[in-house]
Amino acid sequence: MIRTSKVLVAGTAALALSLSAAACGGKDDSNGSTGTTATKAEFNAALTKVFNPSDKKGGTIKLANAGDWDTLDPGETYYGYSWNFLRLYGRGLLMFKPTPGAEGNTVTPDLAEGVGVPSDGGKTWTYKIRKGIKFEDGTVIKAADVKYAVLRSIDKETFPNGPAYFEGFLNLPAGYKGPYKSKGVNTDSAITTPDDNTIVFHLKSAFGGFDYLAALPQTVPVPAAKDTGAKYKEHVVSSGPYMFDQNNLGKNFTLKRNPNWDQATDSNRKALPDGYEVALNVNADDIDNRLLSGDLDVDVVGTGVQPAALGRVVGDPALKAQTDNPVLARLWYTSINPTVAPLDKIDCRKAIEYAADKTGYQTAYGGPLAGGDIATTILPPMIPGYQKFDLYPAGADGTGDVAKAKEALAACGQPNGFETNMGYRAERPKEKATAESLQQSLARVGIKLTLKPYPQGDYFSQYAGNPPYVKANKLGLVTNGWGADWNDGFGFLSQIVDSRVIRETGGSSNTSVRIPEVDKMLDTAVAETDQAKRDAQWGPIDKRVMEEAVILPGVYAKSLIVRPKRLSNVFISEAYNMYDYLSLGVA
Amino acid sequence: MFTYIIRRLLAAVLLLFIVSAATFAIFFLIPRLVGSTPETLATRYVGRAATPETVNLIAHRLGFYDPVWLQYGRWIKGIFVGADYSFGAGVEHCPAPCFGYSFVTHQPVWPELLDRLPVTLSLAIGASILWLTFGLSTGVVSALRRGSVLDRTAMSFSLAGVSLPIFFTGMVALLLFSYKLGWTAPGGTYTPFTEDPGQWFYALLLPWLVLALQFSAQYARLTRAGMLDTMSEDYIRTARAKGLRERDVDIKHGLRAALTPILTIFGLDFGLLLGGAVLTEQVFSLPGLGKYAVDAITTNDLPKVLGVTLMAAFFVVIANLVVDLLYAVVDPRVRVG
Amino acid sequence: MVVGPGTQVPIALDPAEGAKSIEGRSLGRIAWTRLKRDRVAMGGGYVVIFLILVAVFAPLIVDVLGSPPNEFHQKLIDTSTLAPIGGTGISADHLFGVEPQNGRDIFSRVVYGARISLLIAFLATLLSVVIGSTLGVIAGYFGGWVDAFISRAMDVFLAFPLLVFSIALAGVIPDTAFGLSGDSMRIALLIFIIGFFSWPYIGRIVRGQTLSLREREFVDAARSLGARSPHIIFKEMLPNLVGPILVYATLLIPTNILFEASLSFLGVGIRPPTASWGGMLSEAAKFYTIWHFMFFPGIAIFITVLAFNLFGDGLRDALDPKGKR
Repeated sequence: MIRTSKVLVAGTAALALSLSAAACGGKDDSNGSTGTTATKAEFNAALTKVFNPSDKKGGTIKLANAGDWDTLDPGETYYGYSWNFLRLYGRGLLMFKPTPGAEGNTVTPDLAEGVGVPSDGGKTWTYKIRKGIKFEDGTVIKAADVKYAVLRSIDKETFPNGPAYFEGFLNLPAGYKGPYKSKGVNTDSAITTPDDNTIVFHLKSAFGGFDYLAALPQTVPVPAAKDTGAKYKEHVVSSGPYMFDQNNLGKNFTLKRNPNWDQATDSNRKALPDGYEVALNVNADDIDNRLLSGDLDVDVVGTGVQPAALGRVVGDPALKAQTDNPVLARLWYTSINPTVAPLDKIDCRKAIEYAADKTGYQTAYGGPLAGGDIATTILPPMIPGYQKFDLYPAGADGTGDVAKAKEALAACGQPNGFETNMGYRAERPKEKATAESLQQSLARVGIKLTLKPYPQGDYFSQYAGNPPYVKANKLGLVTNGWGADWNDGFGFLSQIVDSRVIRETGGSSNTSVRIPEVDKMLDTAVAETDQAKRDAQWGPIDKRVMEEAVILPGVYAKSLIVRPKRLSNVFISEAYNMYDYLSLGVA
Repeated sequence: MFTYIIRRLLAAVLLLFIVSAATFAIFFLIPRLVGSTPETLATRYVGRAATPETVNLIAHRLGFYDPVWLQYGRWIKGIFVGADYSFGAGVEHCPAPCFGYSFVTHQPVWPELLDRLPVTLSLAIGASILWLTFGLSTGVVSALRRGSVLDRTAMSFSLAGVSLPIFFTGMVALLLFSYKLGWTAPGGTYTPFTEDPGQWFYALLLPWLVLALQFSAQYARLTRAGMLDTMSEDYIRTARAKGLRERDVDIKHGLRAALTPILTIFGLDFGLLLGGAVLTEQVFSLPGLGKYAVDAITTNDLPKVLGVTLMAAFFVVIANLVVDLLYAVVDPRVRVG
Repeated sequence: MVVGPGTQVPIALDPAEGAKSIEGRSLGRIAWTRLKRDRVAMGGGYVVIFLILVAVFAPLIVDVLGSPPNEFHQKLIDTSTLAPIGGTGISADHLFGVEPQNGRDIFSRVVYGARISLLIAFLATLLSVVIGSTLGVIAGYFGGWVDAFISRAMDVFLAFPLLVFSIALAGVIPDTAFGLSGDSMRIALLIFIIGFFSWPYIGRIVRGQTLSLREREFVDAARSLGARSPHIIFKEMLPNLVGPILVYATLLIPTNILFEASLSFLGVGIRPPTASWGGMLSEAAKFYTIWHFMFFPGIAIFITVLAFNLFGDGLRDALDPKGKR
């Protein structure tokens, strides 16, 4: 592990040097892109390179959100765009590297001096915190502040919407409800702070990927004296280069420079702009129009343009040159439930895999640009450990292999097809379109689907994710989707292929995968503390699940996003699959 | 007279209670009747990682385990005396009238309602000035020139205006005037009057016109019918016979009499508009009470829905009350009945 | 002898002059003649009949002129822009073009949408008429506290912020409840909501008419002959109320059509993928640059509502002796 961390640190330094060298080296405007930078505006210019590099300071970046921010509180926020943006006003133990390309998917120390040091077989993780980093009010940040931040996020009554990894892994005292309700309870069994600059996490069982948890915003320190619980989001105390100036919840907020942030303690941030303005609940089509005209810099949610703008952009080469098309770490798929006859027979499930029209699936989601790339595996390509394979080729045009499907049907004893029900979330037009597309493509081999819409609020708890309901209502197929909380195999696979997350009372995203061999493979991978060895194990797990034909992969999601016209250092972060908000400057 | 006012006031208050109770019943009773439990209700307000324990906690926190009448009583009490809310690390007092805290954003509802009100008010006032002016004058002219080409054209347009769904007109107007021609502001660009009067006007121009189009059509028809009614009365003939100028006959006697019922209808319409210009606000993305209501309902945010429904009912009731009182002043027969 | 509708009172004339017997005309006949003379109203009436036929024969029409309403035709869609190839996709197969992204035939969806709109509007109006007439007659006839109670009830209903309330109600009921599920449940729910909240509209009119009829001589006459209240209500008053009820019911139908379209537009009416005009407009809002998607459902609503309004207006004028035209 120490070897890996040294490599990581060295790698980061080298990359940072080369980046700044390219930036200082002036404009490469001869043919537009050299090595890691680009200056000519063209389609996907910022996908793997830094577009418009510059070190110029000053200016205000303008962002807009079509809805409301999920929450500014680092203890509860659960959206990728928020985690991306949060690094401006919060420093956690680790963070994702702000560089383009695959490197952006690796963790690097932020508040900590280095990545975590595991001991006790991976059950204990130690981090050393840098000295002299201050909050916006000048108080020095101590390990106790990080401990407090993690503990308060465990209070799910005050923060019901946040990630639940820490309470799952930490060895907390029984019945612990967080610092508000369990005041004075000794939590040293879970987290200890031997001194002001060391923090140690004690887990219930070994977990090799703990560094990813340390990169969660829940490790951003919170001063206990200024913590106001569910109201803390009204004024989050900053540990990063920017602090909150104005905060009108539901309307807008602005960030200004934090005078107590010291560049010397921070090798990841350059803090170029003077401030940020974020407008909330702005009309989505309006955002697109203003992005294209240059009136607005960034659509902060980063999920892509609306259908109306899509038409405009694709048809106009000048506008298309202003966009990037990243692949997201998200898979849209359909679960094939073996608890519903005749899908208990593997060949009947394979028939579905062969007969499905993958191109239709892709169109249902919005086509090759705005929808996604046709998926043949469960892991999307950017997850370390991804292996490319296609067990059920869908023919030359991607519309399915009817002949092979019919063979499979014959093998499972249903040569003329069969009937079953398909569930989808009623409020999601893309899932409705997927269901209807599958209804048509499977009908070609005699498989008749009856479509059943369900409300998305209860979809997993009451319907698709509720095993007794699935069986009683013969839901052979259900639309599904999964985006990892962080881009590694555990983050992606654990909730969707581990049979032990399935509850009889409902609620899990995994509705169909019950393979004991896969569970064992997952446990082995999780405990492995060597990153390279761990990553190598995800691919085989993916393949093993696909061999059971209990998941029909649809598309690896993609988004078409508009590049900011007047900003510098624009690039796609592979960790968040949208523009990296930390490095942007005003050109 | 005094007793009449008191009686109407009491009736108005009773009405508000009934509306609030009915809204409460819809959101809290009906789900139970169709088989929801406190847990299934609570799943809407927790995040993706919610465990059954979290769902349980939230169901308790939001009071779903209490009987419906208790939850209702608590809410009513909050409106009159305010309530205290715990935020984990502290307690906040929510002053009366306290419409509770949003289940989704945990922000107090009442300030949000007050924030949205000026938008709907701007929309309603602007549009009503337009439609009263245009609708009434068209109706009067049509009535006076009954049977003429002008009359027929005006009434045809009015009939068309009444038959068009406002969201269709709004969408077509947006497409044509904002996006294709660029003459008016695109949807969702509202700024408050206090920040930028010019932009405020620009953003509301098209919504005013679209809303006014629909209502002027209605009012033109109403005015014309009312005028024709009064113009055929005996006293009009008497006035003419007495030698009064035609203009005086038309305006002073005819229009005045026809106006009274029109204005009462206007009062009711204005009240309804304040409560729910839902479709216009939705099409033009105006951050008013109507859009607030739709957003709240789609996210199942019950305190917000209760708040906006009560506010809307309040306006309707007040409008009714004002109209009734005005009628009592004007027409003594009403007071006795 | 009771003089009622259709009775012929012959007047003898000199047969040598070849005169025919002059028939007495009932109110209904008079109104019908007046209505027939109003060509605009009759035009509206013909369109109404046409629409009803379209709604009734929808499956047949779609079989011949279009494609199944929920069937995708993604080959006609440019997958990178999601717009139909060539802009609208209007062709002999698709008279109104296809929807963006999924390529559904807009013509068949508009035709099936007519079914939904007319069915819900008619049944909801029927519900309003039944409740409204009953309560209105009772309130008008009996007066006193019965009247006061029913009138207050009408006030309560009229005070509800109707649209907000219906959205709330329609949004809260899940897709399977009270033994029904899916489309039939939504349709029943919408009929109930729209019909139930519209009854005061009819109720007020009926009450007013009943009040004035109550004082008329024929009621006194019937009473002095010993007739009891139910007989008076049903045999004497109701036939005279049929006229106004019919007129206002006809005028209520377009309001209900707009109401259902509004609810579907806001997403709480008929659920997709079932075609409804309001729902189609709601989806068209996302693709606001593709004009034909919003045009056809919108025009369909407009023509339907206009036709009913024209016919209803004509009906009202025909039955109203003062004739304000």
